[in-house]
Amino acid sequence: MDILLGGRMMLGPPDPRLAPGQARPPAPALAATSVRAQLAGRRIAVCVGPGGVGKTTTAAALALAGAVEGGRALVCTIDPARRLANALGLTALGNVEARIPAARLEAAGLQAKGELWAMMLDVKRTWDDLVSRNAPDPARRDRILGNRLYQQMSSALAGSQEYMAMEKLHELAMERDYDLIVLDTPPTAHALDFLDAPNRILDFLGNDAARAFLAPALGAGRFGLRLAQLSGAYAARMLARFTGQQALADLGEFLQSFQGMYDGFKTRAAAVRALLGRPEVGFVLVTAPNELAIAEVLAFQERLAAERMPVAGLVVNRLTPDLWTGDAPLPAPAELAAVLPGTALDRDRLPALLAAGLAEHQDLVRGERAALAPVLARVVGACAMVPRLETDVHDLAGLARLSAWL
Amino acid sequence: MADPTLLDRHLVFVAGKGGAGKSTVTAALALLAARAGKRVLVCEVNAPQPRIAALLGAEGPVDAPGPRELLPGLHALNVLPAAAMHEYGLMVLRFRAVTHAVFENRLIRYFLRAIPSLAELVVLGKILHEARSRGPKGPRWDLVLVDAPATGHAIQLLRVPSALLDAVPAGPLRHDAEWMERLLVDPVQTAVALVTLPEETPVNEAIELDAQVRGVLGMSRAGLFVNAVPATRLAPAEVAALAGARDAPPPLGPAVRAATLASIRAEEARRHVGRLRAALDLPTTLLPLVPSVGWGPRQVEAVAGAIARAWQGGEEAAWTSCWGAG
Repeated sequence: MDILLGGRMMLGPPDPRLAPGQARPPAPALAATSVRAQLAGRRIAVCVGPGGVGKTTTAAALALAGAVEGGRALVCTIDPARRLANALGLTALGNVEARIPAARLEAAGLQAKGELWAMMLDVKRTWDDLVSRNAPDPARRDRILGNRLYQQMSSALAGSQEYMAMEKLHELAMERDYDLIVLDTPPTAHALDFLDAPNRILDFLGNDAARAFLAPALGAGRFGLRLAQLSGAYAARMLARFTGQQALADLGEFLQSFQGMYDGFKTRAAAVRALLGRPEVGFVLVTAPNELAIAEVLAFQERLAAERMPVAGLVVNRLTPDLWTGDAPLPAPAELAAVLPGTALDRDRLPALLAAGLAEHQDLVRGERAALAPVLARVVGACAMVPRLETDVHDLAGLARLSAWL
Repeated sequence: MADPTLLDRHLVFVAGKGGAGKSTVTAALALLAARAGKRVLVCEVNAPQPRIAALLGAEGPVDAPGPRELLPGLHALNVLPAAAMHEYGLMVLRFRAVTHAVFENRLIRYFLRAIPSLAELVVLGKILHEARSRGPKGPRWDLVLVDAPATGHAIQLLRVPSALLDAVPAGPLRHDAEWMERLLVDPVQTAVALVTLPEETPVNEAIELDAQVRGVLGMSRAGLFVNAVPATRLAPAEVAALAGARDAPPPLGPAVRAATLASIRAEEARRHVGRLRAALDLPTTLLPLVPSVGWGPRQVEAVAGAIARAWQGGEEAAWTSCWGAG
């Protein structure tokens, strides 16, 4: 791991592929700043970013750092890789927080002044809890929990995961006394889907238009006839042709069962939304230096700014360390041959391979820095630069090493 | 050796973790199929910024309403929920005027937007409709390639027909869900190709995705692509012999460190490829790491070349010819 630490983070213009020995433009150094420092004094960190950039590990490392420094820190993960889940003791637990025993932290060489807690979001159970909490009586609760449309919605509906992540965050923020809650968010197909998901689902549950269509049919059994009596009946008849009348009737019953609970849901979603705008929250954008992730994180940046969400900073994971700083040209094979140690080595083959390897490495470095430039130009708050770690972070010691970069 | 029948399938979903290189592999497969004389349609799913056209070096509008020909015999389409919804409505309701009457109704528009999974249904419906659409001389497309959304969203998309079959009683929706599900699970016509990286989390996710494709979706798998496998330049013994020079002043120190990093990466990659092979009984194609961050036709061409070589002569051949010169 140590050989990684020598790299300085550089930002440079894109260049075409240059042969070894050719001059490359010098690159200005880029200072990394501490996202953890930005989070000090905030109670909630929300890690957002595209899939596959190390969001879950970053969230876990931030919580671990919080626990090491003192205080009770919780990481709420969405879908952790199995070995990380094991490291956090999340193997059998669903939807409840569990403390990582101090002994395990000590075994990993960590002296934590505080406590580290972890949980894994269970979307279905969060939905069920929400319904139980809002249902006016047990009969209504059971009617909803038993409805097949509800069952499908609570596990498979697009946006459901995002909605429940926000819902859980609200519960944790309001009803527990953690000093730091770090929320990992689902990898969204579109920037900040989770900000819109609650409203989309609530629109559906509280859809007065739908209820107006469907409610009269309930109990009548003659759905089509009743619809025909409504204004807009023509359009409604066409809609029934679209979905089938029985499906509409089912849907009507489902929406009916939510009647009266809608306001509770709506109030709650508004509270979650308000919570996310408070200064005690810090969004942490997580990305990696590849084209796709960078395009997505730019969209996230824009959206967070438009929504005036409090941003704590940016974490760039998996940076290739810059091994050739300064403006000297990269070495030609002959230069390397002249300084190659030892006699057992293949002196014909090795210099060319080493020169090519270094040139390729530096091409990657320059390409990454160039691709990151538009994101870095718009950073709000801190900007942590994490080099590519050669082994995946999947244990507490690995998380601690990662957190040192944050 | 990878399954050479992948391109003989009629509908292939390219799925994997975000950032694993699905779009690149999709574009490379499309290129190979089109060069083999097939009429190919590449579908992107509700892509905010469609990428296939840029990857194949085609210029022009990226959001054409219908399939757009990027290269001879190779079309691309970004399937958007709103457009697919309207088109689906038109098919069900038959007449444009009627469709407009329904879709222009504010309440109904609101309502349609809110029905759970309807967006996924119409998007998938549009793709499957293209897959079975026919021209005057038989099927319109020989191969429909889908650049599927990232893992979880892909499963959600492909699950919609079977989920609807569980939730929706008889009617037009159910009827559509039935033919869609039949096409998805038909192993002769349809398959999923998995794309992953030789790293811990992507490999775990690929193994889980494979289990879901088999178990939850009941779909056939056409092969596995391991993307960005780093090349081995120096033998481990050579790297070990150079260890003492890591901290040497430039130029030797940096060159040795670059070689050491590359060697560690290659070793890790080998270990993860081994895990994949042990866990998945799938024809596997290793694709070499292309040292660039931006992706365009040059990189896609390199990946297509590597796939073609792997299919012709096995992975080792692909390896040597790709890196032997460099």
